[in-house]
Amino acid sequence: MIRQYLSDQLVELEQELLRMGAVVEDQLRAAVRALTEKNSALAREVIQEDDRVDQMEMDIERRCLTLLALQQPLASDLRIISTALKIITDLERMADHAADIAKVTLRLENEAFIKPLVDIPEMARLASSMVRLALNAYVHRSIDEAYTMIRLDDDVDHLYAAIFRDLIELIRDRPDAAGQGTHLLFVANYIERVADHATNIGEWVIFMVTGERKEMND
Amino acid sequence: MEPKLRVENLSVWYQRQPALKHVTLSVEEGEVLALIGPSGCGKSTFLRTLNRLSEEQVGVRVTGSILLGDLDIHQPQVDVTQIRRRIGMVFQAPNPFPFSIFDNVAYGPRLQGAADPAALRKIVEQSLRQAALWDEVRGKLRRPALALSGGQQQRLCIARALAVNPEVLLMDEPTASLDPLSTAKIEELVGALRGQYTIVMVTHNLRQAARVSDRTAFFLDGTLVEVGPTRQIFTAPQDSRTEQYLTGRFES
Repeated sequence: MIRQYLSDQLVELEQELLRMGAVVEDQLRAAVRALTEKNSALAREVIQEDDRVDQMEMDIERRCLTLLALQQPLASDLRIISTALKIITDLERMADHAADIAKVTLRLENEAFIKPLVDIPEMARLASSMVRLALNAYVHRSIDEAYTMIRLDDDVDHLYAAIFRDLIELIRDRPDAAGQGTHLLFVANYIERVADHATNIGEWVIFMVTGERKEMND
Repeated sequence: MEPKLRVENLSVWYQRQPALKHVTLSVEEGEVLALIGPSGCGKSTFLRTLNRLSEEQVGVRVTGSILLGDLDIHQPQVDVTQIRRRIGMVFQAPNPFPFSIFDNVAYGPRLQGAADPAALRKIVEQSLRQAALWDEVRGKLRRPALALSGGQQQRLCIARALAVNPEVLLMDEPTASLDPLSTAKIEELVGALRGQYTIVMVTHNLRQAARVSDRTAFFLDGTLVEVGPTRQIFTAPQDSRTEQYLTGRFES
């Protein structure tokens, strides 16, 4: 095989990206679990771990820039590396949202929930599975998998709309619940953003495979 | 807009050996077209056929047509000298004549009958300016061309080609023998000439093709595999053979 070094480097890049993706997925699950279980210690851990994700983003970014400068990749190699550069930005934002959710958990530390949390954990499950599916699509270079994942975004959006409706109604009926209700709305919004970032990753996978940019978020 | 050069179904044989097979390709007015591909792919043959240089070799056979405007340049009644005035060429290694700088650039115009010293001086200055060499050689025009550096010699050859006011400029790996700085100057010069002249350039340096050309054509085994906007060819080529060549994973 010619250009073995570059091929090896692309495999390493992919593995680092997957490691970062796994950490982000863990962060999201942990953040929502900390919220539902009112586990402040876990929420603090999530906030701390965000630095690690930032570091991973910078490491992968440096790796990509080095490859661009020294290997001067073209065609699909170029697309693989530029896609990695975009994906890490989306992953890093998701981790930020996990930390945002953890911060809400700490604010609500001493309050009883105004309603049982059902839809939020469900929405979070969907969103974090989108993250995993997006990275699988990247590894498999699969447009089909990317599209399948992107379709889940509709379910997330529906849940978000339902949560929004419920919480607004609750706040209208019980003004004393407005504070917590608003925080929970933020949480739902963060999760919705996570799903959008997963959709972005799917779009980048489609670009990587086909060379064409498709905008799926609306 | 009408293309500057229209190549249709062009095939070239050396003796029995096919070097180009049924190539159809248009070159747009004022564009820089880069020809890339592995050694022996036919890109240089293609270039040298565009001004009928390939026929200087024994046993060459050409079929198909090359239209410069309305003129089919391979018709027997066509004057080759006229074709080469309209379609100039710059070669791999600089090849100035063993004359002075001035006489090198004035050579073509003199052949065409320009004799008035003032007019010649004007042509020489203008050509040297266009080739971005004037500032380095003004006041030294009587010095031997061979005393110039390699990069300057190559720009002198470009000035010499421009002096007869060609429409098309063919460049056969024009920076193959030059250092990076001289290479950068030639590339900049190509950028400056774009628009005024139609330029077709063979290069083995993919980065160079990417930097200087508007469109890129990829040749393989005597066939034109793919031609398209350089931006697209280098980021998302359509043909898997182009892809393999560009990513350096080509096993021939």
